[in-house]
Amino acid sequence: MVTSSLITDAVDERPSNIEATATLAGEGRTAVSSGLKLFMWILAALSVIGIVGIVFRFINDDGRQDWGYYAATVGWMLTIFGGAPMVAIAPALAKANWVRPVARIASLGAVATSVLALLLIPLLFKLPALTEFSEVLGDDVRRRSIWFDSPDYAPHFWNALSLATLALVGMFMAYVMAIPDLAAIRDHGSGWKQRWAKKLARGFHGRPQQWEWLKMRIGITGALYFATLMFVNFLFSLDFAVSMVPGWKDSVFPFYHVITSFQAGLAFVILGAWASRRWGGTEKFIGQEQMWSLGKFMLATTLLWFYFFYSSFIVFWYGRSESDTATIKLLVSGPYIYLFWTVFFLVFIIPWWVMIWNKVRDSLWGPPIAAVIILFGLFLDRIRIYVASWSAVPDDLELATTSILGDMPETMWPDIFDIFIMVGLPALGLLSILLVTRLVPVVSLWEMQQSRLISKPIRFLRGHALLVGKPD
Amino acid sequence: MAASNSVLGLYDTPDAGANAMDGLKSAGFALGTFDVLTGTPYPEGAFGEHVPQHRLFRFPFFGAMVGITLAILFTAGTQLAYPVVTGGKPILAVFAMLIIAYELTMLGAVIATVVGIIFESRLPNLNLGAYDARITEGYIGIVVECEDDKVEEARGVLQTAGALEIKTA
Repeated sequence: MVTSSLITDAVDERPSNIEATATLAGEGRTAVSSGLKLFMWILAALSVIGIVGIVFRFINDDGRQDWGYYAATVGWMLTIFGGAPMVAIAPALAKANWVRPVARIASLGAVATSVLALLLIPLLFKLPALTEFSEVLGDDVRRRSIWFDSPDYAPHFWNALSLATLALVGMFMAYVMAIPDLAAIRDHGSGWKQRWAKKLARGFHGRPQQWEWLKMRIGITGALYFATLMFVNFLFSLDFAVSMVPGWKDSVFPFYHVITSFQAGLAFVILGAWASRRWGGTEKFIGQEQMWSLGKFMLATTLLWFYFFYSSFIVFWYGRSESDTATIKLLVSGPYIYLFWTVFFLVFIIPWWVMIWNKVRDSLWGPPIAAVIILFGLFLDRIRIYVASWSAVPDDLELATTSILGDMPETMWPDIFDIFIMVGLPALGLLSILLVTRLVPVVSLWEMQQSRLISKPIRFLRGHALLVGKPD
Repeated sequence: MAASNSVLGLYDTPDAGANAMDGLKSAGFALGTFDVLTGTPYPEGAFGEHVPQHRLFRFPFFGAMVGITLAILFTAGTQLAYPVVTGGKPILAVFAMLIIAYELTMLGAVIATVVGIIFESRLPNLNLGAYDARITEGYIGIVVECEDDKVEEARGVLQTAGALEIKTA
């Protein structure tokens, strides 16, 4: 009969505090950055191409249907970069130790939301006013939306305000999470990084009160970020997709948008973790445990994709009203039918059957492959949704007043400026994140040190494990 | 009168830091005049340090109370001022009022929490005191704020606990 613990100490091969500080906050960081610089220059070039695309999109503007791919790209970026910080927030609230090495990658997604807030501006100019038909039909006729008796430009104002709030809250959260690391760079860095870190660390000396406030601010801004993200997804999906299509009435769609945001956020963090290991010199900090844990969540959100899609679809399928049939045709079985089935396989079937195998989930290569497939699939999904929505222009009065999509729009193919935009804008978002990582370590130093203090590698008979304490 | 000196003892192990904290308490230094500096958060009270008390938890409660009160006044007031029977339900229909009450309760709690963060953060402490860059490498700093006549005593206690280095600012 076993009467005592079977746990014995194992060799601790994790980097020491001093080694971690040197690698993440000191001169060790610069050793791996030459390839990164080249990649950033490529991203900068692509970003310029994206901006050129926007300029020429304005010059060659034949109506709002020309902005479908722009809306799809912005929608995709919101899906990815907006959802990524949730990966830092949700597991941390549950005191998950595995999330510490990837929490910084996740929180940096918020940096790109500030770029996104700027990219929303051209789209706001193209979003029609609620009184789109007032010149012909009179002031009391408004296009169908969630803004019943609001001012004419209510969607424009509230969408801009909500996305700006998301960017501010996200940036503040990412900054607060980085303060102790900025203090470490202030103490051990050099040159411009040290000067900036000194300004941004704001006298952080690691007093108990400073740690207490840091934890509280992370918790509160995390909760605010979650609430704001839900609200932004709700507004963006309804105002830039659902309300654009006469007859599309769908209360489940905003939640479909949210769940795909979580799915894309997880995929982004998995890819970021993989790239950081591959090119960022963080293989000692990010390991199989992170891939496995993130992979499980990504599998769960992949299954939820189908649940939310089906919940939405079945209402239209059984509704069978004229507008329901037209909506299904526009989004699923009509001009974008091939796109829909591609999305169905890339976002649901393939990741499901890849990630269902424990051996694949518990590997360093499986989750990144699934993540690439999901991100590409979701990009096509945003094209399916937003390009279709922006191409459904109600061009006669009957269409506008009866709220039924009459003539089905043809498939909208991207032109060269759309391609510029689709390549350039995500590159700009990624570039903004990489620029910040020039100063802020891509792995949170203080969280790694805390993890080291509260955990130890052990052996359980002949097996290996990490024993984690969870004080307070 | 505010303390004019800041004495820092640097330790390479948390145990030594905790011993220094014990030594300062035994020597009669008042709680709140000495503190621990660490590069990573330790659980509350790990060094026997003075645990700062905050009152942030009161703010959301107060905000929620204000919110629900406003909601009840708002919903009851408008329904009594314009008594329209809808669907055969009572004028003061609780289930309809609950929705507004919930929304305003949450709104009040959120706004009060944000106000609470700002209020409880107080003004930044411009006198940062003694510090050593090795703290962010994992070393432990014990800092004592004291008057001139207590500096030598503080240095003695910190040295006895095995400080690697002692700094005064």
